[in-house]
Amino acid sequence: MKDMPPLPRRSLIYALVGLWAFAGGASLSADDELRFNRDVRPLLSEYCLACHGFDATKREAGLRLDVREGAIEELDSGEVAIRPGKPEESELIKRILSHDEGSVMPPPETGKKLTQAQKETLLRWVREGAKYEPHWAFAKPEPQTPPADPRFAGDFGNPIDAFIHQKLDQRGLKPSSRAAAETLIRRVHLDLVGLPPTPAEVREFCDDYASRGLTAYRERVDKLLQSPHYGEKWGRWWLDQARYADSHGYSIDAPRSIWPYRDWVIQALNQDMPFDQFTVEQLAGDLLPKPTSSQMVATGFHRNTQINQEGGVDPEQFRIESVFDRVATTGTVFLGLTIGCAQCHNHKFDPITQKEYYQLFAFFNNQDEPEHTLFPDGIDPASLKKEREQTLRLLDDAIRPYESKLEEWEKGLAKEEQEKLPKPVKDALKVDSKKRNALQRATLFAAGISKNAQSEKTQSSIAELQDKVREIDRELSKGVNTLVLREKPEGRKTTVFIQGDFTRPDEPVQPGVPSILHAMSAEGREKYDRLDLAKWIVSPENPLTARVIVNRVWQVYFGKGIVETENDFGLQSAVPTHPELLDWLAVQFMKNGWSLKDLHRQIVCSDTYTRSSLVRDDLLDVDRDNYLLARQHRLRLDAELVRDVGLAASGLLSPKLGGAPVFPPIPDGVMTQGQVKREWKVSHGEDRYRRGVYTFIYRATPPPSLNVFDAPEGNSSCTRRNRSNTPLQALTLLNDAAFVEFAGALSKIIEKDGIEIAFQRCTSRKPTESELAVLRQLDPFSAARVLLNLDETLTRE
Amino acid sequence: MNNDLRSILDQQLQQQTRRHFFERCGIGVGAVALQQLLAQSGLGAFSETNPLAPKQPHFPPKAKRVIFLFMAGGPSQLDMLDYKPALNKLNGQPIPQSYVEGKRFAFMDSSHRINLLGTRRTFAQYGETGSWVSDLLPHTAKIVDDLTFIRTCKTDLFNHAPAKLFMNAGTGQFGRPSMGAWLTYGLGSECNDLPGFVVLQSGPRGPRGGAILWGSGMLPSTYQGVPLRNKGEPILNLTTPEQVTEEKQIEVIRAVRQLNSMRLEQTGDDEISTRINAYEMAYRMQSSAPDLMDTSDETQETLDLYGIKDPKESTFARNCLLARRLAERGVRFIQLYHTNWDHHGGPTENLEKHLPEISKEIDQPCAGLVKDLQRRGLLEDTIVIWGGEFGRTPMGEVRESTGRNHHIDAFTMWFAGGGFKPGVSYGETDEFGFGPIDQSVHVRDIHATVLHLLGLNHERLSVRSQGLDFRLTGVLPARVVREVLV
Repeated sequence: MKDMPPLPRRSLIYALVGLWAFAGGASLSADDELRFNRDVRPLLSEYCLACHGFDATKREAGLRLDVREGAIEELDSGEVAIRPGKPEESELIKRILSHDEGSVMPPPETGKKLTQAQKETLLRWVREGAKYEPHWAFAKPEPQTPPADPRFAGDFGNPIDAFIHQKLDQRGLKPSSRAAAETLIRRVHLDLVGLPPTPAEVREFCDDYASRGLTAYRERVDKLLQSPHYGEKWGRWWLDQARYADSHGYSIDAPRSIWPYRDWVIQALNQDMPFDQFTVEQLAGDLLPKPTSSQMVATGFHRNTQINQEGGVDPEQFRIESVFDRVATTGTVFLGLTIGCAQCHNHKFDPITQKEYYQLFAFFNNQDEPEHTLFPDGIDPASLKKEREQTLRLLDDAIRPYESKLEEWEKGLAKEEQEKLPKPVKDALKVDSKKRNALQRATLFAAGISKNAQSEKTQSSIAELQDKVREIDRELSKGVNTLVLREKPEGRKTTVFIQGDFTRPDEPVQPGVPSILHAMSAEGREKYDRLDLAKWIVSPENPLTARVIVNRVWQVYFGKGIVETENDFGLQSAVPTHPELLDWLAVQFMKNGWSLKDLHRQIVCSDTYTRSSLVRDDLLDVDRDNYLLARQHRLRLDAELVRDVGLAASGLLSPKLGGAPVFPPIPDGVMTQGQVKREWKVSHGEDRYRRGVYTFIYRATPPPSLNVFDAPEGNSSCTRRNRSNTPLQALTLLNDAAFVEFAGALSKIIEKDGIEIAFQRCTSRKPTESELAVLRQLDPFSAARVLLNLDETLTRE
Repeated sequence: MNNDLRSILDQQLQQQTRRHFFERCGIGVGAVALQQLLAQSGLGAFSETNPLAPKQPHFPPKAKRVIFLFMAGGPSQLDMLDYKPALNKLNGQPIPQSYVEGKRFAFMDSSHRINLLGTRRTFAQYGETGSWVSDLLPHTAKIVDDLTFIRTCKTDLFNHAPAKLFMNAGTGQFGRPSMGAWLTYGLGSECNDLPGFVVLQSGPRGPRGGAILWGSGMLPSTYQGVPLRNKGEPILNLTTPEQVTEEKQIEVIRAVRQLNSMRLEQTGDDEISTRINAYEMAYRMQSSAPDLMDTSDETQETLDLYGIKDPKESTFARNCLLARRLAERGVRFIQLYHTNWDHHGGPTENLEKHLPEISKEIDQPCAGLVKDLQRRGLLEDTIVIWGGEFGRTPMGEVRESTGRNHHIDAFTMWFAGGGFKPGVSYGETDEFGFGPIDQSVHVRDIHATVLHLLGLNHERLSVRSQGLDFRLTGVLPARVVREVLV
């Protein structure tokens, strides 16, 4: 700024006059109190801080505007950016009002331009003393008292509604009425378990609701929260964030086995594992005292990184890549911070230095990446392995006396004779005689010499021992591998990497957390590890985690969060629409022992959640995007649910829970898109009709019918899905073999139970006469296809 | 657009839908009638709710569309386009240490070598511009005066999948939109019966990285590339199911539309209008995509121009012809991947046998495409890009036979049409072709330049995600290479 020519005095005066004249019609009326966090910070962050912010290395003209001290101090140029109370002496105001291309701020080449109203806000802020507030998200959420005015209490007596109603009332808006009973039950079924209610369930609920009202609804909610399908629906919510998929990614994209982690998530949610424990086990289960098998499986969270198996790669480079991913994912998922930005440079917007980034990096730089084998109940691998060893030893002892005979027999074998031997015997013969193990020798013994001359007793005891080893091996092969983390005993050294380039190490760093957030409690530890980090993340002192999680749950129910930037609570974040409500929910969440089920119950048992989603003309002008929640939203179902609803409506759905991923039919030619052609062997039996959450996901060639509805591929953490609406979705629903199969099954239902029942299976409501008139023109198969293609079938209303 | 205006437009749209339903949707309309009806409804083509509706660029564009001929694997510029006699002179001798100090390469530990490898090809100068081209590319040699060569292209990443991602999305990180997605997001599509971003593939295998290369990242999937398939149906699920007749399919689509329109009226939700549009586009694609793929209306002379022997056979040549047909239909971004250019010297990838084979596969089709676009007046506003994710080293690599390693410091790409200055060769590499002597052109600069020709300022084409404005060119400086523009 200092090199720029001074602004002509007169033009400033004109500009100021112009602004004051304009003040009457702006969005912020003079009666409203100007609030730094709500009104000013977003402007500074958007337009100023990239060059005049926290990052000293990129700071222009020595000016920083992220803190008041910097904004009001005299610069080298002798100018002062902000003189509180005196806009006309403040360089910042002169610059934003300037019409001169060379001096106006923000500079034209940034492509950013302040609107008249925004300029006016800054002007008023300076005039009123340029007060700063700490960024709301970096201060602990305080307990909030819900508005007590009885006018704001809803039918549910839920504090959520008091917050929402108060704000609506301030804007003179009335909330919509409650949705119809059949809409309600479908909504809450889809939202809690991801499956539509059956027509019988709808009927039963509607009757019950007619007589007992909200009690009937509450009981239905409790029942759904007990359903094992709850874990499948909300498990997918977490798996998106965990970037889960079933292959290694990059170009080779070989399959991997990590589905036990997926099942762990589903079970943990079904058991309502407190979210703090849920977090600790996933981030640091291996560091807990005597970790259980389940706690080891949980660490799969950070094994969902990709592995590059391409020829010629430097393994260290891609190990570092996966650590980068772990840092970024931890930041995004739990803290709602874009920590990854500080990988190469100090963060442009948030107070996180590059050094602090590598202090976080250090927590994740010290693991081995092994596989953990899981066994079904009743199989104890340790004792089995021990038993196997003992048996082999016995076998060894039993065969030893016949070694010379064995050798003789082998020598005497003619080529043709050898050819005729069974395969295991041939295989054993191929092994060097000195290197054969007891099992191989036993095989040869049985084939070659057991018949001649040996006592039956020896024969049968050797055979028995052999069988026993085989039996043990069979049991051991029932184990399933899954990827886990394990802390290395010897620490790797962590340094800052210049520009994020691992070949350019800089100063060494120790594990630590950003100084803008709460401190890590010392407890006499010399060095912190991942377990400390995990506990720090879910510490009640942490201002972010609880807010981030309640917000991300909220967004599923209403289409967007109270903080719309659900993965960024930093200085660039959107201002919360209902900050007090957010804090109330966060505090409540922690108070309730981090129970997600309580949080779900709290939200869905509210007037706000149960409102009609019909679009209201009167809201279009004032709150088109429904930030104030005068009504509910129609939301297109997530990809997996599009499949699940089709399966459920057509009666094909397999309710089987968990297990290895399945391979439902996909169109020809999908698997040839990646570098390596992968096999897709279509599952048989009920596995053909499993819920979408169980479909095998190859990262490089994701299943098209899920991909087309915006399911993430697991390449990076996904905290919010897009909801696109495309012709390819139409082609999928019209022509994809899976949906044609669903339609075939649904057409049988039409033939048996009639079109009205089929319509209800898809939409949970009865068709109108004119809808029926359209459907009755069609044969059952066409009608079934139509029903599965309806916007309403794919939508939670 | 302000909210008021928008809501008025949307209301009009809804009314139109209603009117359309009540007035026109009789029973028993045939295929042609339905199409007519769709066209007349005013909803089918470009309505407010269509995310692919054409949008105004930032400033008047030179080009309207892009055809990117992606040579997947990294073509050897030193055997094709960047002539370095010194390499032959010093064949077998180690490259001076000063070149390679501190550099990293793929296959660092195994087959990587530091001995220079001269080319076995014969180079000559062509055209009025006297551009050097090797005997691998006789057809390309004939059109050098129409091309713009940049010999000092630079990328940051030297493994295939990350580097391909880098060339497409400006970053090796996942979850960012590719160039085609950015362009359809920024400019919409001028084609109402095909996707705005189309991907064609040829060669023995798919490109490394797969679908992320044409992904839409944080942009809605509306903008992601749609692969057109060479075998079977050109677009997944394009074909009406076997057991369904054309009449039945139309009946179904019409009934879906009727019921969706009723629901639109009941709920007032715009998303339903978008879905109605999507079904209409889907329906049009069902006939327009097979039309596109059916090349029987092309003359023998045209087929010969591309070197197509059997128009039914799926080859790079056929894909080039399809690229022209897509360009004619107004598709915004057309990307052709051809594998395998990864000539390390392995059993199926050496410089003696396999490089000439694959060069032959692409040489005539590429030249044919440029000429065909030119004579049809399409080259003026179509950018053609030729290149891979990186180039190859001046040093040889010894495996079963000889090859070259991946090289990121300087490699050659060529451009044609759409505002690129023909007959220009930009950037010069050192005597071995290792690094640039001057004018290094980073992938970011290429992106900025292409966007510029399409009327987009690369600093302004952004999307807000995680509180940050993401751009194709990222946060590091990028420049429009004006020296190569008309």
